[in-house]
Amino acid sequence: MAGTNPFPLSRDELLKCYRTMGTIREFEDRLHIDFGRGDIPGFVHLYAGEEASATGIMSHLGDGDRIASTHRGHGHCISKGVDVVAMMKEIYGRKGGACNGKGGSMHIADVSKGMMGANGILGAGAPLACGAALAAKYRKKGEVAISFVGDGASNQGTFLESLNLAAVWNLPVLFVVENNGYAESTSRDYGTAVDSYVDRAAGFGLPGITVDGTDFFAVYEAAGEMIKRAREGGGPALLECKMVRFHGHFEGDAQTYRGAGELDSIRADQDCMKKFRAQVTAAGVITADEFKAIDREVLGVIENAVKEAKAAPLPTLADLTTDVYVTY
Amino acid sequence: MPTASRTDTPSIGIIANPVSARDIRRVIANASNLQIADRVNIVLRVLTTVASLGVPRVLMMPDRGGIRAMLQRQLRREHNLHHTFPEVEFLDMEPTSTVDDTFLAARMMRAAGVRSIVVLGGDGTHRAVVRECNDVPIAGLSTGTNNAFPEMRESTITAMAVGLYATGRLTPEQALVQNKLLAISINDGERRDIALVDAVISTDRYIGARALWKTESLSALYLTFADPQAIGLSAIGGLLHPVGRREAGGLAVHLSDDPATRRLLLRAPIAPGMVREVGIAHWEPMPAGQPFPVALQAGVVALDGEREMAFDAGDRVRITLRENAFPTVDVARCMQTAAREGLFRLSSSTT
Repeated sequence: MAGTNPFPLSRDELLKCYRTMGTIREFEDRLHIDFGRGDIPGFVHLYAGEEASATGIMSHLGDGDRIASTHRGHGHCISKGVDVVAMMKEIYGRKGGACNGKGGSMHIADVSKGMMGANGILGAGAPLACGAALAAKYRKKGEVAISFVGDGASNQGTFLESLNLAAVWNLPVLFVVENNGYAESTSRDYGTAVDSYVDRAAGFGLPGITVDGTDFFAVYEAAGEMIKRAREGGGPALLECKMVRFHGHFEGDAQTYRGAGELDSIRADQDCMKKFRAQVTAAGVITADEFKAIDREVLGVIENAVKEAKAAPLPTLADLTTDVYVTY
Repeated sequence: MPTASRTDTPSIGIIANPVSARDIRRVIANASNLQIADRVNIVLRVLTTVASLGVPRVLMMPDRGGIRAMLQRQLRREHNLHHTFPEVEFLDMEPTSTVDDTFLAARMMRAAGVRSIVVLGGDGTHRAVVRECNDVPIAGLSTGTNNAFPEMRESTITAMAVGLYATGRLTPEQALVQNKLLAISINDGERRDIALVDAVISTDRYIGARALWKTESLSALYLTFADPQAIGLSAIGGLLHPVGRREAGGLAVHLSDDPATRRLLLRAPIAPGMVREVGIAHWEPMPAGQPFPVALQAGVVALDGEREMAFDAGDRVRITLRENAFPTVDVARCMQTAAREGLFRLSSSTT
């Protein structure tokens, strides 16, 4: 009946997940504007449109669980609990950033949160996640590791080798293929011989499933079962999230490879936040006004992060030789 | 879009779902996962077989799950090898990677006048095709999880039966059989859908990962047929009170975890490799045409294994069995008739 909660998360947890997705969306949409203005050095790859995947998966993780992210890593960082001010400073190349402004968008890391880093090298996160999973297996605390890759990076040798390694060592690792349909600007049909990512797992004897990555609850439920299985010694698995990205591969990408009207259509029909709001308000658990209040709150959080980032000092020449070697 | 009906050209359609057998039951129940390469091999076998029987043209649903891309590569290789294939035309539609693709493809194939649609999928895919293809007979190939509806059979044989029917060697009376379905209506038709095997009422109230596997959430099952050899939730009915696919009527089973209202405990394979105990309160026959009101106040209706329609207090859910609802190609009967009538004999020898 309307008012009772039909979802597998409490009202507070639903609010928290929405806040996380909203923070990612606002963070990315703000970067889209600031990068276009020339405020930001380097390169950014935005995660807007894909929030349900990171949030649905990370809702099952604690700080002791480690993730290896991709070049499109802001959403993974935020949902894993990395401070957005530290992230913004990092992207702006300022001191006080998550890596003191020396990593930038593609190398944000916060090991205290289990975030081993975004990664500019496609497919490079998978072996790192296997390493973290091997450590977790030895520590015997039931921790897991998650490797995120895009559909393009799943063709990299490192990814395929990692599937093999994870299978033979029975590692507590979940491989998440975030399939947004384009390897940069190359469509799957053109660049991938078997464009079912689940078949990659099957080739190594691992279970793999495909979910609608624009449906938070589909991701949440599937990832929950797979992560629980990994924690209990059931071994590695692969989750393919079929999703959409709202921006180009990188900022400045003219996106000439997209079909006519494709962006308008996916923003209208496949927006994971719209779907979340529609399902939760229809069930009467959270009102549209409560969602709007979170949207306003998030706007303030990101505005503040940008202000702090712009006000923070740039690294000095002396900083160049610090933090070169780090042990954890 | 190939809308013009080409009745002079006996074309058939193929709808191959790239994401059937991809849900969470791979993880919780070790269910099979038919790889894309094998799905493409099945399509290739259907194509060569219907070509050998004189079907010149096949319409296919395009997809973004890998079948179209791999099939096109394979067809180029087959062309280089000078193998005989029918003309393969992909429907002019933009795939969305949702069930809407199946709905649209079924409608387009019907509009194009195909004689039959070969379906690669499980119960859910077949349901989606039947919902939209109306009176076009379908021929099912099991590439799903439970596959209670499509019969397990080598695709070559199914394609032979389809070829015989599509080319007019067998009449509709010889080749086709009518099937039952369940019509689900919420609030007197405000929302409608169908199920080919089972409509299951669950206390879950969200769609999530779609598959149902938690027996404690089950409230009632409505079944068109109940086969003791089936897997999936229809197996509960199959092992309790079998009802044949071709028999009149269906079966309603009411479940209960409460020992006070439970009449018996039954063990059934509710998913591949997953034999579970379920509490049975009572069961009753479902005569055709009689709407069965759903007693549960709020929950979800799962159609052929997938959570589809959430409902709340105040929603009136009715489930009605319909007989003679849609035709399928009766492959076994087609092949027996073909053998008896010598349709595959190329000479007149009687020995």
